[in-house]
Amino acid sequence: MRRIIVHAEQCAGCRQCEMVCSFQHTERFSPILSRVRVYRDDRNGLDYPVMCRQCEKCPPIDNCPTGAMKKDLRGVVNVDPQLCTGCGLCQELCKFEAVNLGLGQALVCDTCQGNPQCVSRCPTGALEYVESDEFTESVQEAFNRMKKEWSLFE
Amino acid sequence: MSKLYGYTGHVLRVNLSDETYRVEPLNVKDAENYLGGRGFNIKRLYDEVKAGTDPLGPENKLVFATGPLVGTMFPTASRFNVSARSPQTGIFGDTNAGGHFAPEMKYAGYDQIILEGMCHRKVYLSIRDGEVDFKSAEGIERKTVYDTDLYIKRSLGDSFTQTVVCGPAAENGVKCGALFANQVRAASRTGMGTVMASKNVKALAVRGTGSVEVAEPDSFRDMVLKLEEEIREHEQYPGRRLMGTTRILMMANEAGFLPTRNYTSGVYEHAYAVSGERLAEEYNVKTRGCFACTIPCSRIYTVKSGRFRGLHGEGPEYEALGSFTSRLGNSDLELALKANDLCNQLGLDILTVAGSIGWAMEMYEAGELTIEDTGGVALNWGNGASILKLIELIAERKGFGDVLADGSAAAAKKIGRGIERSVQVKGMDLIMADPRGLKGFGLGYMVASRGGDHLRSEPFAELSDDPELGRRMFNSPDSTLRLSNKGKGKLINYFEDWCAVIDALEPCKNIMQNMMLLPFDRAAEAMKITTGLNLSPGDIRDAGARIINLERMFGVREGISRSDDDLPSRFKAEPLTEGASRGTVVDADLMLDEYYDERGWDQATGWPTGETLRRLGLGFVVGDLP
Repeated sequence: MRRIIVHAEQCAGCRQCEMVCSFQHTERFSPILSRVRVYRDDRNGLDYPVMCRQCEKCPPIDNCPTGAMKKDLRGVVNVDPQLCTGCGLCQELCKFEAVNLGLGQALVCDTCQGNPQCVSRCPTGALEYVESDEFTESVQEAFNRMKKEWSLFE
Repeated sequence: MSKLYGYTGHVLRVNLSDETYRVEPLNVKDAENYLGGRGFNIKRLYDEVKAGTDPLGPENKLVFATGPLVGTMFPTASRFNVSARSPQTGIFGDTNAGGHFAPEMKYAGYDQIILEGMCHRKVYLSIRDGEVDFKSAEGIERKTVYDTDLYIKRSLGDSFTQTVVCGPAAENGVKCGALFANQVRAASRTGMGTVMASKNVKALAVRGTGSVEVAEPDSFRDMVLKLEEEIREHEQYPGRRLMGTTRILMMANEAGFLPTRNYTSGVYEHAYAVSGERLAEEYNVKTRGCFACTIPCSRIYTVKSGRFRGLHGEGPEYEALGSFTSRLGNSDLELALKANDLCNQLGLDILTVAGSIGWAMEMYEAGELTIEDTGGVALNWGNGASILKLIELIAERKGFGDVLADGSAAAAKKIGRGIERSVQVKGMDLIMADPRGLKGFGLGYMVASRGGDHLRSEPFAELSDDPELGRRMFNSPDSTLRLSNKGKGKLINYFEDWCAVIDALEPCKNIMQNMMLLPFDRAAEAMKITTGLNLSPGDIRDAGARIINLERMFGVREGISRSDDDLPSRFKAEPLTEGASRGTVVDADLMLDEYYDERGWDQATGWPTGETLRRLGLGFVVGDLP
């Protein structure tokens, strides 16, 4: 399926993805309303936008107590705000930290119905929406890889 | 006017002396008249800090403000201004930085944060939405900027907190102590870090859960997309994308205004060795950006071998790169990276530090300072070990570093000689552009409300050296010829107003002003779409002029007049002898006469006239004219 793929070495940490995500869904601007969150390491200058990876097997969906979280026909994760109680189990179970519970209900990337705005607004080409296998590199793994690659010794 | 969008509508006032705080409403009139950021700060300080206030005493106030565009996806809107009476110059202290602090301030709910009084213990402030915690700073006393940021994020258990931090230099009373957001985005001029340290505040840590709303969401999206397209198609885009401001070094050298060996030359024979081009080819590994940037232009470099193996970080920008290379006759690029990193960690204003060291090196080479005077530090041009040594001594205020710690003018005063070699205006060391090769910049340095500096006007049109542009903009072909002394009053009057508007709305000046993307009419449109305030392009320009005039009055109140609007004598009497800016000098009086005339200021005193002040709605300060 088509997924949003992160090229972390291209990411400048500008957070335009957070802004457009928030605006697209709410017409307001705030990271708390965004389904993508950029992790930034200022000491080493590393950045990583975190969002739903659309895993085949999704523990948050399998364990959602109210059935609020499920996949739509395209296989994209969706949250029903009528059913979500904000219990936070999904956040605990998602190993990619892709669930935002900032305002008390789960927010997860919905790919903007197949036209992800974060991808089109990214100024450095760090995000791509392509046909792809699952990718499993965590933020920390990506940071470690880049530190090694660029000799960013502590 | 029903609802004010864009702004948060709130001001946080923190009383450090009794560790209390309260939230006040933003005055809508202030939004219309001063727009935000730098405008909000000068209004606040003019109203609340009396003339003659001790800059490092409890009566001085340190104010942070951001603008209406910040916290949205408006390209490059990421900046804040921080202001107080300056310990370095005694006039309006004010400095500006990007990064990610300003938007977080908005999400926490504030357009402005006022720190007043003085804390009885060392603290840092944790501001989370409506809550302010006075946290003990015992664990971070005199810690570096980097370590302080990491410590605070760790102890709050929140890596998304945004901090503004001062370093050990400020805590040691060095008057050019800077403030840093995201560890390296420096609000570094005029000693605002020193003011914060004097209040016993090590850092602000801000986190918010609020949001920013705009008045016309659909138009806002269209405006942003259009601006972004223009940025990407701009001729400056590729160079900025690759090198950021470091692209300027080679340009400045070719035009013969690259300050070399303390401005004794405008050409550096090793320019390429220390250029942005060389950094990009050999050291840069990654791009970084401030919040909501479309370019983005910051860079991560790493040194993979040699004596500085393992050194890595963000930047440097042009001013730092040039300061530690051509300005000091140093051709070792890696040493410059090290010096930049050291200043960032210790929390120093690089232009002041390099101004002091450049002055000392020139004095030493001329035999006016001996190795006994410097406590054993040899100050021949380009002596890298001595540069690093002096940075540490300055930060600790030890040995010869104590002499240099407050800038070159203060150093000359301390030792009783050498003021003619001090390259500064109003006590602030100059930036990296020789005014003999950019006359309008020279006028800008003379009249800048915070002392010798280009960011109050930054007349980039002059770099075009195109008389047609000057004819079109100011009906004066000379105004945009860089070596001409004529027409500069009009040029600086215009660009000062423009810079004040940019500093009030708080996008990036490099992009919105230098690339000429947000002129007054578009700023008016952006204000309407973002805030709902209906201001004409003329109103916007007047807001800029109002900020300039009120800042001038802040200086006038502290005793500033025409005689302070001056340049070091070498720029007026000694032409450069090589390069593309050779053979001319600055005619300070000609430019000042023209400028005061354009401003509606008195030619003899350099003070705004009552009529000018009243026209701008500043009648309330007329009584403060001497």
